[in-house]
Amino acid sequence: MIRRAAIVLAVALFGLVFANLAAHYAERQSLLPLAKRYVELVPRDLGAANVITGILLTYRAFDTLGEVAVLFMVAAGVGLVLAARGRRNESSPGEAPEPPRPASEIVQTGAQMLVPLIAIFAAYIIMNGHLSAGGGFQGGAVIASSVILLLLADPHRRLDLDFLSYTESVAGVLFVLVGVAGMIVAGGFLDNRVLPVGQFGAFFSAGAIPVLSILLGIKVGCELSVIIDRFRPELSTERGSQ
Amino acid sequence: MAELIGSLLVLAGAVFHFSAGLGMLRMPDAYTRMQAGTKASTLGNTLVLAGLAFYHPSWTLKLVILICFVLMTNPVSSHALARAAYRIRISMTPQTVVDALRDAPERIRGRS
Repeated sequence: MIRRAAIVLAVALFGLVFANLAAHYAERQSLLPLAKRYVELVPRDLGAANVITGILLTYRAFDTLGEVAVLFMVAAGVGLVLAARGRRNESSPGEAPEPPRPASEIVQTGAQMLVPLIAIFAAYIIMNGHLSAGGGFQGGAVIASSVILLLLADPHRRLDLDFLSYTESVAGVLFVLVGVAGMIVAGGFLDNRVLPVGQFGAFFSAGAIPVLSILLGIKVGCELSVIIDRFRPELSTERGSQ
Repeated sequence: MAELIGSLLVLAGAVFHFSAGLGMLRMPDAYTRMQAGTKASTLGNTLVLAGLAFYHPSWTLKLVILICFVLMTNPVSSHALARAAYRIRISMTPQTVVDALRDAPERIRGRS
């Protein structure tokens, strides 16, 4: 009875909130002054058709660098926590995790067909970040989703973690180097005008933004892949003994 | 005329989506629910996207790619879900008549 009353109350409250939102919603007819400034500034100064990517990778690119560093911290933290858990499991013998079953033929074939398609889509998202919706972070996440599919289709596959971490580090260093080049050649750290801005809306345009996008996509894809791999049950020890 | 055809296709797709939702609520066990959801939503998605192609002819190529993607992913994912459900022995409804995977020879069962 109390439970039912609580449910009714919760639904009524949600209804109130949403009714309020719907009643007071009015489409804004003009941009806020700050947004207006950016909408004018980004295509003119940076040559990027996508204003958001322009802001993310130039005006607040330092912040983006910080976000990527946070993602790196997450990967390291997940590794630390899960490694500690794995050790505890080893110290208490008994329930060893049973080896993963091989995936079915349908899943394997599906993965073979889909992984290349997903990779192409990720490359498209990353390369068109300065023209349409997309960019490095999103493309990197799509790459990581193809890695999940690969691991689902073949649970025994080992990711080359050393390669992933080296690639990630190199991408991060290049990102910072492009930023430093901006300090030397153009207006400041991570200024995109180290490369020619080019024709507005063209594939090769917007200065260094596509380059930064690619580096960001590689870095995010590697980081997320490492995180995914860390969440798998540890196979290396038992496979070594087999 | 094209808009009318498009609207009818979208409506047909919506009907299939509705039947998918109805199947989710009404079917007796996990496997039949999965089947209802997958089959109806695959066809529903295809019809809705095809209907959109009549509305926006310039989107046709993108919509065809989307349809192909749905046709490739939706059956595979529900196959994987159903297989995992079978492996952890989620019980079937008592009305089940035939369990082909149980009766199958070991060679096929181990692989499937």
